[in-house]
Amino acid sequence: MRRILAQMRKQLTQLVRDRMSLAMALVLPVMIMVLIGTSFKLTVSDLPIVVQDLDGSSASRNLIDAFRASVTVHVVAWPVEQSPQLALQHGAYAVLIIPVHFGRDVVRGSKTPVQLLVDASDSNTARLMSGYASRIVQAYNAAAVPVPQPVQASIRLWFNPGLSDKLYLGPGVFVLALSMFVPLLTALAMAQEGQRGTILQVYVSNISAHEYLLGNTLAYMVVGLAECVPLIALLFTYFGARFAGEPFPFLVATVLYVFCVASFGIMVGVAIPNQIAAISVVSLGGYLLVFLLSGLLFPIANIPAGLRWISDLVWGKHYIIVVRDAFLQGAGWPATWLEILIIGGTGAAFYMLAWLSMRRMQLKA
Amino acid sequence: MRNFLQGIANTRFMALIRKEFGQIRRDRRVIISLIVPPILMILLFGFVLNPTVANLRLGVVDDSRTPESRELIATLTESESFATAGNYFSAGQLGDVIARGKLDAGVIVPYDFGRDLQRGRPATVQFLLNAMDANTARIAQAYAESVIATYNNGLGQSGLNADFRRVAAAGGQPRSQVVLHPAYLYNPGLVSSWFVVSGVFGMLCILNASIVSAAAMVKEREAGTLEQLMMSPAGTYTIVVAKITPLFLLLCLMVLGAIGLMKMVFQVPFRGGYVLVMLGAALCVLCGIGIGTFIATFTKTSAQAQLTSFFVNPPLTSLSGALTPAQALPAWLRPLTNLNPIYHFGVIARGSMLRGSGLGTLWPNFLALLAFTLVMVSLSVWRFRKQLS
Repeated sequence: MRRILAQMRKQLTQLVRDRMSLAMALVLPVMIMVLIGTSFKLTVSDLPIVVQDLDGSSASRNLIDAFRASVTVHVVAWPVEQSPQLALQHGAYAVLIIPVHFGRDVVRGSKTPVQLLVDASDSNTARLMSGYASRIVQAYNAAAVPVPQPVQASIRLWFNPGLSDKLYLGPGVFVLALSMFVPLLTALAMAQEGQRGTILQVYVSNISAHEYLLGNTLAYMVVGLAECVPLIALLFTYFGARFAGEPFPFLVATVLYVFCVASFGIMVGVAIPNQIAAISVVSLGGYLLVFLLSGLLFPIANIPAGLRWISDLVWGKHYIIVVRDAFLQGAGWPATWLEILIIGGTGAAFYMLAWLSMRRMQLKA
Repeated sequence: MRNFLQGIANTRFMALIRKEFGQIRRDRRVIISLIVPPILMILLFGFVLNPTVANLRLGVVDDSRTPESRELIATLTESESFATAGNYFSAGQLGDVIARGKLDAGVIVPYDFGRDLQRGRPATVQFLLNAMDANTARIAQAYAESVIATYNNGLGQSGLNADFRRVAAAGGQPRSQVVLHPAYLYNPGLVSSWFVVSGVFGMLCILNASIVSAAAMVKEREAGTLEQLMMSPAGTYTIVVAKITPLFLLLCLMVLGAIGLMKMVFQVPFRGGYVLVMLGAALCVLCGIGIGTFIATFTKTSAQAQLTSFFVNPPLTSLSGALTPAQALPAWLRPLTNLNPIYHFGVIARGSMLRGSGLGTLWPNFLALLAFTLVMVSLSVWRFRKQLS
C-alpha cells in the first residue's frame, strides 16, 4: 500500500512540473466543453424565407403577415420577375410562392395551394423549415375560419420542456471531455516512461506490476476527479442543468468512469511505448468513438445497423446514458444499474489488459 | 529539349524535392496518415452522424378501444415517423417506461374518444414526448401535429364520422383552406449524409494537412539535420518551398481520393462540376500546410506539435458549420466563422456540389479562402526562415 501511494505521488509530482500537461488537464476540457456545447446546435432560428407574391391581394398579404409574425422565420420580399431559385443560392432557406388568384380561391372557399421551395442541402434544417411553415399555415387556416378541430393533440414535452439544446448537449460534452483528456494525459505519461527508458528502472525495482499500475491509476483518477469539478460546475452554471433525481447513481458512475478512462490510458501507454502512436490511439478511442458512436449528438438508433453494435462497446455511451438520466430523466437506479456495471467491467478489463502486457516484462523475484 | 529538362531536374530545387519525397516515402506514419484518416473520417461521419428523425418508439395507451381510436393509431404509425413499441394499460405505466428511456413518445387516447367523435364533440389526445433531445423533439412535435391534421381531414371524407362534419359545419360558411405544398430542392430525398460529408471534407483538408505537415516540418529538427540543411548552399526560400511542394502534391492526391469516396459511396451529386470544389480544396490544403508549419516552428518534438494541435483544432472545427449549420450558432459567435477557412470551404463545397452554384455567388468565399491561405503560408514561411537564419 505504501508503495502504491508513493508511485501515485511520484506521478502527480511529474504532472505538476510539466506545464504542457497541466494546461491540457485544466484548460482544454473546459474549453472543449464550452466550445462544443455552444456550437453543436442543430436548430437554426431566424431562418430567412423569401416570399414571392404573385397575387398581391389582401388575402395573400394576410398569409404573409402570418409568416412575419413568427419568430422562427424572417420574411424577405422578393421581386416577382426574378427566379426564386436565385434566392436560395443567395442564402434564403425557403421560398414561399403565392399563386395568382390566391385571394379569389380563398374567398370561394376551395382548397388553395401554396408552394414552398425548401433548400434541402441541409436535410435537418429543411425538415424544421417545412415543419415551421406548415404550422404557420395551419394556424392561419384555423384563424381564418374558426371551425373546431375534431381531434386535438395536447403535446407534453417531458424532461426538457424548454427544448434547450444546451441541456441535451451539456451531459454529452461533459462525458466527451472526460473521455478524451484523462486517458490522453495517462497514456502520455506512461508512454514517456517507455520512450525515455525509465520503465526499465521500474522493471528492476521490487515494485510489482499491480502496485505500479494501481499507483498510476490512482494518480490519474485523482486528476480525472479534479477535472470533474470545473466541468460539473459548468454543467450547473453555463448549461443550466440540475439533478433530476437522486444524484447517487451519477456519483458512483463518475468514479467508476474515471477509473475506466484512466485504465484505458494506462493500457494504451503500457502497450504502446511511443507518445505519438499513443496520442493517435487515444484520439481514436477516446475522442472519435465517443464523439460519433455514443449518441452524443444524434440518436444511436440512426446509426446503420451494421455499425450500431459497435456503440455498445463504447464505454462513453453507457456513461452518457447515466449522466443524461441524472440531469434530465431522473429515473435513478432502475434505469442505470446495468450501465454502471458495464462501465466498471470495462474499466476492469482495461486494467487487466494493462497488467497482462506489463507482467511479461517483470522479472520473477 | 532534353538538355533543358535535365537542366531542371538537376537544379538544387529538384534535388531538394527528391530528398523530401524520399523522406516521406520512408516515413510510414506520414503515409498512413495520408490514407487512413480520409477514408475513416468520411465513411464514419457520413454513415454515423444522421439527424433524421424516424421510427420513434411509441407507446400506446388506448382507453377507448373503438374503431376511431384504432384508426388514429394506425394513422400515427403508418408513416415512418412513429413505430409502435408496446401497449400499456395506464398513463402511469407509460410514463415510467418513457422515464427509463425505453420509449421516445407515448400517446394516450381517452376512454370517451370514440363517443365524443360520434356525437360531434371535439376530443383531445395526449402526447408525451421525451424532449431530452431538443432537435428530435421539435421535429417529432411537428410530425405528431401533422398526423393529427391528416386524421382530422380524413374524418370528413370517411363515412364513419360524417356526423361530426355535419354538426361542425352546421353553423358556419364553407371552409376555405390554404394547403402548403413543400418541395425539397437540391436534395429531394432529404439525404442527411450529403451535408455532413461535405463538411467533413473541409475539416479533412485543413486538419489532416496541418497534422501531416507539422510532423514533416518538425522531423528535421528532431533528427538534428536542420543544421545540415542550413549549411547547404540552398537559400531558405528554396528549402521551404521544396518542403511544401511534395506535401501539397500528396495531399492533393488525398483530396482526389476523398472526392471519389463521396461520389461513389454517398452519391454526392457534384452539380457544379469538379473544378471549383478541387480549387477550393487545393487552397484549403495549402492553408492547412501553413497552419501545420506555423505550429511546427513553435515546437521541438512531433509529440509536442500534435498536442499543440489539440488547442488549435477544436475551435477550428466547432466554429466552422461543418457538422451542424453555422447559422445555428449563437449570434455572438457567428461572426467568428468568417475567420475560419473550414467555414468558407463548406459554403463553397455545399454551394457547388449540391446547389450547382458558380463563381458568381461563391466568389466572396473564394476570396476569403485565398486571403487566409496567403496569410498562413507567408506567416509560416517567415517564421521558418527566422528559425533558419
